[in-house]
Amino acid sequence: MEKIKKLILDTVKDAVIEEKQILTVTVSWDKLHLLAKTLKDNAELPFDFLVMLTGVDRGETLGVNYLISSSTDISVEVILKTDAADRENPLIYTVTDLYETAHLNEREAFALLGIRFINNPDMRRFFLNSDWTGFPLRKDYDPNPELNPVSIESKEIIDITPRIMEVDGKLVEDTANIFEADDYIINIGPQHPSTHGVMHFRTALDGEIIKKIDVHSGYIHRGIEKLSENLTYPQILHFTDRLDYLSANINRHGLCMCVEKAGEIEVPERAQYIRVIMDELQRISSHLLAWAAMTNDLGATTAFIYGMREREHILEIFDKTCGGRLIINQNVIGGVMFDIYNEFQQDVKAFIPYMREKLKEYDRFFSHNVIALGRMIGIGNMTKEETISYAVTGPAGRASGWSCDIRKHQPYSIYGQVDFKEVIRTEGDSYARYLNRLDEIEESLHIIEQLIDNIPAGEICAKTKAIIKLPVGEFYQRIETAKGEFGVFIESRGEKQPWRLKFRSPSMALVSIMPLICKDEKLSDFIGIGGSMDYVIPDIDR
Amino acid sequence: MILNYSQPLELDGVSKALDTSLSALPDFWRILIECVLVGVVILTTYAVIALILIYAERKITAFFQARYGPNRVGKWGLLQSVADTIKILLKEIIRINNVDRFLFFAAPFFMVCASVMTFGAIAFGKGLLAVDFNIGVLYVTAVSSLGIIGVLLAGWSSNNKYSMIGAMRSGAQFVSYELSAGFALMTIVVLTGTMQFSEMIEKQQYCWNIFNGHISSMIAFVIYIISGHAETNRGPFDLPEAESELTAGYHTEYSGIQFGFYYLAEYLNMFIIAGIATTVFLGGYMPIQVHGWEGFNQVMNYIPSYVWFFSKTGVLIFLSLWVRWSFPRLRIDQLLALEWKYLLPINLVNIVVMVILVLTGLTLTDLFPSLF
Amino acid sequence: MDSVSKYFSGLFTGIGSLLKGMSVTWKELWTPKVTRQYPENRETLVVSDRFRAELVMPHDANNEHACTACGICQMNCPNGTIVVTSQIIETEDGKKKKILDTHQWDLGMCTFCNLCVITCPSDAIKFDNNFENAVFTRSKLIQKLNAEGSKLREKKKEEKPTAEAKPVIEVKAPVADAKPVVEKEVIAKVKPEEPKAEKE
Repeated sequence: MEKIKKLILDTVKDAVIEEKQILTVTVSWDKLHLLAKTLKDNAELPFDFLVMLTGVDRGETLGVNYLISSSTDISVEVILKTDAADRENPLIYTVTDLYETAHLNEREAFALLGIRFINNPDMRRFFLNSDWTGFPLRKDYDPNPELNPVSIESKEIIDITPRIMEVDGKLVEDTANIFEADDYIINIGPQHPSTHGVMHFRTALDGEIIKKIDVHSGYIHRGIEKLSENLTYPQILHFTDRLDYLSANINRHGLCMCVEKAGEIEVPERAQYIRVIMDELQRISSHLLAWAAMTNDLGATTAFIYGMREREHILEIFDKTCGGRLIINQNVIGGVMFDIYNEFQQDVKAFIPYMREKLKEYDRFFSHNVIALGRMIGIGNMTKEETISYAVTGPAGRASGWSCDIRKHQPYSIYGQVDFKEVIRTEGDSYARYLNRLDEIEESLHIIEQLIDNIPAGEICAKTKAIIKLPVGEFYQRIETAKGEFGVFIESRGEKQPWRLKFRSPSMALVSIMPLICKDEKLSDFIGIGGSMDYVIPDIDR
Repeated sequence: MILNYSQPLELDGVSKALDTSLSALPDFWRILIECVLVGVVILTTYAVIALILIYAERKITAFFQARYGPNRVGKWGLLQSVADTIKILLKEIIRINNVDRFLFFAAPFFMVCASVMTFGAIAFGKGLLAVDFNIGVLYVTAVSSLGIIGVLLAGWSSNNKYSMIGAMRSGAQFVSYELSAGFALMTIVVLTGTMQFSEMIEKQQYCWNIFNGHISSMIAFVIYIISGHAETNRGPFDLPEAESELTAGYHTEYSGIQFGFYYLAEYLNMFIIAGIATTVFLGGYMPIQVHGWEGFNQVMNYIPSYVWFFSKTGVLIFLSLWVRWSFPRLRIDQLLALEWKYLLPINLVNIVVMVILVLTGLTLTDLFPSLF
Repeated sequence: MDSVSKYFSGLFTGIGSLLKGMSVTWKELWTPKVTRQYPENRETLVVSDRFRAELVMPHDANNEHACTACGICQMNCPNGTIVVTSQIIETEDGKKKKILDTHQWDLGMCTFCNLCVITCPSDAIKFDNNFENAVFTRSKLIQKLNAEGSKLREKKKEEKPTAEAKPVIEVKAPVADAKPVVEKEVIAKVKPEEPKAEKE
């Protein structure tokens, strides 16, 4: 870390370095790109993984926080902070050329905060229409519905993007076309059976072959981050279940941990055990659904039903434990809401061998089927470098040989005490992603096996104050959901509500790489690759 | 012949009685009345079989998928298809802007007409054959190919990009697999030396074609089943529809009874393929007969021929459903590779092998004349 | 030669894998079906005790509940599902006291996060597992949880024997015992409003 600090000061002399929870570096807006580039090119420990890009309205200024990490050791973290010089016309240099994942994130920051990024080739608003009035995440935003009336007329989609480029040291505003004039464009989504939600891919086709994909999102954007700014921490919790609803419990675990870390709340050990067991059950259920949905995307409807059938057993356990099946509301700040029921251990232990047997059946049924292999092997290849640049984590990232399991690298809760393998494959194709999920189900079963008989007695929830206020500061928490790395950022100003809350959604990274890996593949494979990536749209449309 | 004694359950008596009662009329009227009667019967059977098939498919699919399937309308959901039919008849036919209206309305009729025309040529039982062409096999192959025009027109006239892609896929698929299906049938024509269905069936009294030509027939049978599947656009070859990719493919824009036509034709095509396979390979409506086992043969003969036909066809349909609900969908290039790289070369070799078998007298009937 | 053997081995392993897949579906054809037959199985249906289907306010046999109208549930609700209205009355001994007027809960807006229940200081409300809540108009989703004429269950305070104090027998009546009574009353309460709602 000392070396890094020296490197930072060597690069940008007036950088302000603060030793907080994470090393925080504040630089001026025109130096940020230089610093990020230096850190990324640092041979010893390249900071080539942009974990989170968060636009923040700091009151006086509009700024951006970059949480960067290294692909070789994702537990190393540095925060870069910068502020735009002008609140009226905020400009910051893009880092899209360094981290591809910044592309959509910067577009999101533009839509919600109005920060424009110089040299980003595509500066359309990501979640919002181009004619939206105001920038919702700014503190002075006027939410008056008359300003942005609900329109029932369909709007023409304009495939022209404004952008702001630096040419010979001068800033030039111009526009660019997304598609060529004679492209055969089909709209896959927003209503389409295989987009796994309300996603819209504008796809230019050459016969059956995909030339270009343009991602549109925001059809179900709910403004959770904005809503959260007016709610107390316990109230915010229920939103997390509605992000990636398949990893509901794990998301919630992440937010709880962030608040607990900030508020220095000790979580009882029993609660930790229950949390981890529930997380792993949730992971299995999510992977089962991913498996099922992928087989369905490839046209095997029967396999879909089998996956759902097995998932039902987990939902039953959830139902009995927390009274919810999809949205389970189990974690609360300081522990869990519900203790396990009497037959919990018995039910879970019955499920483990059942699931193992079914995994074998899946193997026989689908994993070696010659048609399925033809639809998966060598399709949607992504290299490790691309994976890191697009920040694709989770089973998809690990299928390209990138060891990116937060549970291993930054063990939280009791993951440090359990034995499990990080499933890594190097092929980087749909089949590797597919197999990774099935193997991770097995690993999760293994984790549960180790914990289920050893749940310690004791409290299930720490005593917390009636009104939870976090100290002033910025808090980050990263956690491994079924889709990949989920992140929580809370900026607190000492109140009972957060000043700014941001969720890093793993699905957004998964979707952002789709245009790259689907290029030159066939239309059918686009669907198959989408299934193998397993993104969930509400996670993107926060 | 053994079949000469009375079979009370057979229906050929009815047609004979009809023939004799009409023989007094002038030729024109006799033919007209017969045509109308046959037409009505065929159309009714067509619709009824479709209803039964839809119900059977839904039920069997459900069982494969650990579900119950339709079970709300009537006992065990038996009236489900009827209810669906009523629903589909009552549904609005939506007028879509910017379609090529004439072609759009004509397309479903092509589809249905082609399948009814093929359906009419099937021998359902002894004497239950509308027209006994001496080139039956050729007729069936030719007429069943007409259906693709309906698909292509639908895709083209819908003014929908998804439909268009679906239709183009369908075109490529159909043209390719028609070859294989045709060659597979040809193999059997070589074996039996006739293209007439009735004659073909009579020849299979003791030894079905699938056994008669042993290796070669077996291969031809498998290839015919595969390409038949592909021709009817059913999974794993359902990429013209490919609901997870193209929403509904070529019939995306159709509603009400127009969609019903496609739906009907799809199921009937499945039946037709199975029916032709039964006729050509599995002895059609012939009961199982063994040379010399007179008692056994008599018992088998008591079961009416149409029951034999429908049960053999039923087995093939079940096989088709089983395959459909077990496999994922192929991609268009894989589909074409399967045809051009595997099925067609194998088929060509196979037909030569069959010729050799027939010429050198290596078919089962030639080898063991006493048994068959 | 190599490519020829590859061609055929590819063909046969392919066919083998397909047959294997078909054997799985064949086996599944005979396995017991998992679909649950609702509503036929209504009698035998087991819904988990903790299942959160509707918010209820348990009343005991004396038509008394535990809600002090403090409004904490309303405050904690993330999206304004609960509206507690109270009135100030004067008790016998001249003290001013806040009592519950209506406790209104909107099923249509509830996210079932359970915050109201866990924050309630007097355990006056809880979630029930009666999941059959479908109605035909939205207005029926708004439910009044306190029964007509019900009142606050008084705390046992022996040092303050008031003249008119009812013999409070079931002060700490187990919540579960009170449940059936509540259900009927809540339903009875909602029913009369139905015609009005339908007219809207």
